[in-house]
Amino acid sequence: MKIVIVDYGMGNIKSISSTLIYLGVSDVILSSKYEELAQADKIILPGVGSFSQAMKQIVLNKIDLTLADLVMNKKKPLLGICLGMQLLGMSSTEDGFSKGLCFIDGVVTLFENPKLDLKIPHVGFNQVNPDANSLLYKNITGTPDFYFTHSYKMLSTASISASMCTYGEKFVASFEVDNIAGVQFHPELSQNNGLKLLQNFIDRF
Amino acid sequence: MLRKRIIFSLIYSQSFFTQSRNFRLQKVGNLQWLEKNYKFQDIAFSLDELVVIDASKGKKSISEFANMISQLVNDVFIPICAGGGIKSMSDAELLFKNGADKIIMNTSIYENAALVKELIQRYGSQSIVASVDYKRLNNKKEVYISDGTRKINLNLEEYLAYIESLNVGEIYLNSIDKDGTGFGYDFDSIREVSASLSKPLIIAGGAGNEKHLIEGLSIQGVSAVATANLFNFIGDGLPNARKTIIDSGQNIADWSKYY
Repeated sequence: MKIVIVDYGMGNIKSISSTLIYLGVSDVILSSKYEELAQADKIILPGVGSFSQAMKQIVLNKIDLTLADLVMNKKKPLLGICLGMQLLGMSSTEDGFSKGLCFIDGVVTLFENPKLDLKIPHVGFNQVNPDANSLLYKNITGTPDFYFTHSYKMLSTASISASMCTYGEKFVASFEVDNIAGVQFHPELSQNNGLKLLQNFIDRF
Repeated sequence: MLRKRIIFSLIYSQSFFTQSRNFRLQKVGNLQWLEKNYKFQDIAFSLDELVVIDASKGKKSISEFANMISQLVNDVFIPICAGGGIKSMSDAELLFKNGADKIIMNTSIYENAALVKELIQRYGSQSIVASVDYKRLNNKKEVYISDGTRKINLNLEEYLAYIESLNVGEIYLNSIDKDGTGFGYDFDSIREVSASLSKPLIIAGGAGNEKHLIEGLSIQGVSAVATANLFNFIGDGLPNARKTIIDSGQNIADWSKYY
């Protein structure tokens, strides 16, 4: 099993790579090169930080074209994590307005906080209601806790097999469309629940 | 529903983990001692987060600290927040590369707002935790930086307003008076400031047993309770405390439930 973590210079990826190695993935590499991503069995798009900065780096390094070919045309399995999940959507209002990769019909906006009673960012473990058709949550029962840390969230009216979480409002905690999955939370920081979820991505996508 | 969190803080100084009391550090043991007495691969299931602070007085070696972090975090699948002496983008980068998921900053928050802004732009506000050390004198709450050695000219309320204006992700509020005493948190001060904060608040300083953690968690504006007491939670201390806290009805994640 070869998993390539897309490296576009944003944030920390050590936790993700060491979790994959712990789960027994034999080959875990970081790269943004087409040739290396083309050889991956699965791709992970990580990311923390600002959406607009991330998109700039992605376009600059032609990662948008690489992923469009490998993921959209050649159907290679992809998991987006946190900001990496948001980037798969249409757009974000972070730092004005930025276009996303547009693989998934979802838009990213700041958490609504009309009564100013929510602390933002949304930080900590929160419960997810898994979608009935989900593969990511196989063998995870109930409403499992996952670790979130973000100020912007995705909403979608499309049919993307979304599993929802609530913080003031309902938002997309994860989605699954064919070979593409995205999780707003950090499975690599979510104890056994996260390990199981990543194992499901490895085994079932 | 968003859970509240229990955080364990490790205070590191010159190659040793220490027990701090009112910011006076007592050496307890090195990494081998820690791994023998606190198996984080197991204990992590009683915690929601680990904070590791380099409190070495005077000059700190970020590279040595980062090296220790990289050894500490193997096979620990909870967020790790690390800091102490971060003065530049490259200091922060070194910690992130060695396994920190967030960084905690104190003196540079006060002295270098430009650095904080640059870090937020690169890593996002949720990656930056502002550490605030304070003492209570009569009814005034004074803020200290540089490991508790230098008083600043803002009181706690003014300083917290400044921090919120920087848009850092979380605030780690530590009472120097209560630090390491085990007498309980500085509940009066916490209640005075917590309600008005718009950022998640982690409280630290004084927790000696699970009753203190429960009392802290039950304050509305508190998002997380931290303890750095290496002696009171040794062995099964943390798993037992978490069980007691869950049984008391506090809203924290229950890892045992699904397995």
